[in-house]
Amino acid sequence: MKKRLALLMALVMMFSLCCFSAPAAFADDEVTLTLWSIATESDSSHQAFVDGIAAFEAEHPGVKIEHVTTENEAYKTKIKAAMSSGEGLPDIFFTWGMGFLGEFVNAGRVYCVDDDYANYADELPEAMTVNVRYDGKMYGVPYTMSLVTLYANMDLLAQVGYDDIPATYEDMIDCCEALKAAGIIPFGVSGKELWCLSEYVEPLVIKSVGGQALRDMYNGEASWNNEGVVKAIEAFEGMVENEYFDPSAAALGNDEVKNNFIAGKYAFYQNGSWNNKDIGEQAQFNVKAGTFPVLDDSIPLYSMIGGPNNTLAVTESSQNKELAVEAAFFLAKFMSDADYKSGANLPCWAADPDAEVNDLIQAAADMASKAEDMVLFGDNFLSADAANTYLDYIGLAYAGDVTPTEYVEGLDADLG
Amino acid sequence: MNKPFRYKVNIFLFLLPALLLFVGVLIAPIIMSTVYSFTEWNGFTTPEFIGFKNYVELFTSRSINIQRALKNAFLLAILSCCIQLPFALWLALRLSRPIKGKTAFLSIFFLPVLISTVVIGQLWLKIYNPDYGVLNVFLRSIGLDNLTRIWLGDKKTALGAAFVPILWQYVGYHMLLMYAGIKGVPVELTEAAMLDGCTQAQVSRYIIIPYIRPILRVSVIFAITGSLKSFDLIYVLTNGGPNHATEVPSTLMISMLFLRNRYGMGSTIAVMLIILCFAFALLINMLFKEEK
Repeated sequence: MKKRLALLMALVMMFSLCCFSAPAAFADDEVTLTLWSIATESDSSHQAFVDGIAAFEAEHPGVKIEHVTTENEAYKTKIKAAMSSGEGLPDIFFTWGMGFLGEFVNAGRVYCVDDDYANYADELPEAMTVNVRYDGKMYGVPYTMSLVTLYANMDLLAQVGYDDIPATYEDMIDCCEALKAAGIIPFGVSGKELWCLSEYVEPLVIKSVGGQALRDMYNGEASWNNEGVVKAIEAFEGMVENEYFDPSAAALGNDEVKNNFIAGKYAFYQNGSWNNKDIGEQAQFNVKAGTFPVLDDSIPLYSMIGGPNNTLAVTESSQNKELAVEAAFFLAKFMSDADYKSGANLPCWAADPDAEVNDLIQAAADMASKAEDMVLFGDNFLSADAANTYLDYIGLAYAGDVTPTEYVEGLDADLG
Repeated sequence: MNKPFRYKVNIFLFLLPALLLFVGVLIAPIIMSTVYSFTEWNGFTTPEFIGFKNYVELFTSRSINIQRALKNAFLLAILSCCIQLPFALWLALRLSRPIKGKTAFLSIFFLPVLISTVVIGQLWLKIYNPDYGVLNVFLRSIGLDNLTRIWLGDKKTALGAAFVPILWQYVGYHMLLMYAGIKGVPVELTEAAMLDGCTQAQVSRYIIIPYIRPILRVSVIFAITGSLKSFDLIYVLTNGGPNHATEVPSTLMISMLFLRNRYGMGSTIAVMLIILCFAFALLINMLFKEEK
């Protein structure tokens, strides 16, 4: 009896082993790629990612893309920790260009896609790849570009007699005074999130010193101690002192500020063009997208802060590099088109000229086409340490803790 | 094998899992952090040995400004000892007397300890909101508009505003520790004192408080080391801002590690925190011993 029972148990065990191993045998034919991104369900690009993945899977039977999303700030920590250890890295990951991706490239964690780019060069202009090139080699596939955009509530501006965004700096100041007198807060900004302050400071700086000078400062090839930078910081601190910004700004996060603008609390909101979709769809007033006027008349109006920065890259550790690279290019192209058509952001890839897009994205596209110079956001351009020091100084300027001269001298001393 | 030796082997074998856990979870990370604190490392490349440079930079760099973070942490420790602990002791003494609804009071005061810190942080963020927050709304409703502030956004008020929830959250914790200590005081002692004509305050002052001194010592150690290590509520409420006004060593450490990719400097701050916590724990033990 005992022998029979033992035999029965052995058969049961063998059967269960077969049951569990059978799907694994079938699974050998299926390849799963892992993709990490910040496109959580509330992100304006989420649906485009979902559709892009479905389209790639449909074109590549037996290939599955597992999309793991993490909220923006948490994502930065997650990807840095994974890159640091080199363990558990995905095949494809979302990244920003320049300094952020640069540290991963220097660590040898990112696969060079330079050779593969030749197949897509007709559709992805080389100018769009400048922020993902290190020593001339391309390490990521950009899909959308962003510009700092000045959103204006035209209904509020109309109340103080303006039917367009002020074209000169003096006009802008007059407009702000008129708004203040009418009890309207001119600008919404989050003082809690320093990068939001940089969306005001950087346009002032580029429109005072020009794109090349700003790029040289970021690259450490020119001193920050420049008359134009001092003038820009004076203008910024003047805007704070004159209470052109929401007095509650220091306690508000960017989402709260954006919602306040959408709710009609501010006349202007200056932030990245990735807000086009939310503002365009939710604002119940006449909204216009434009750019801040120049501080120095010799600088072209369309000297813009921004550029191609949303990127997909492939890890060096991927077991399916060829497939991952193909998926990265496919998804980047798909995302570029989908985000443009949905109004989420500007495309890096050749766009469909007949596509019907909303007014805000059209305005952003017009600005991009007129742009005479474009410099990436400072906190993307610089390495992590330098970027945070740089943002600290912007925070100090906002709080009035440094004079414009101390600001430029401090940046020279701390950024080298 | 002789018996005493076998006995020792058994003891060693039984202690081994705990020892491995202790070394793996506590000692090894401290050693690793100490090693990294002597390196320049961005987390990706090979760490480069730089000796004491991180320690020198930590105490001399204007942009890191560890002095401000330490000052804030010490201020929190002083407030914990001067406000939180006396209040917790007062509550424990009151609740140790026969009063109606004692269990309900104990539960209510202990409730903040049980709630997630993130939830508490969100709750206080709403209280402090400059537009619709209860605090400003209340001040406006009683005509004190001039006292309304951007509590967490103004450098002058942010630190105090961030400390209030921290002190509030752990009052219940210390109260419960002290309450348990008071319940251990022999009834004969307090009854004898009462028979001799002592007032309730005198019983507390001369019998209960000296009796629960070991508990008070533990509370002081927890309050001070907890203040030095404070992180979660500050992170949720202000994340060290505005302009680093509420920075404490732990938020500075996180910023160095995860924002600036300076793993060497982050480890230096971690080592400094470990040394400070040990030093204060020893100092407090010595002070309590001297009094004994």
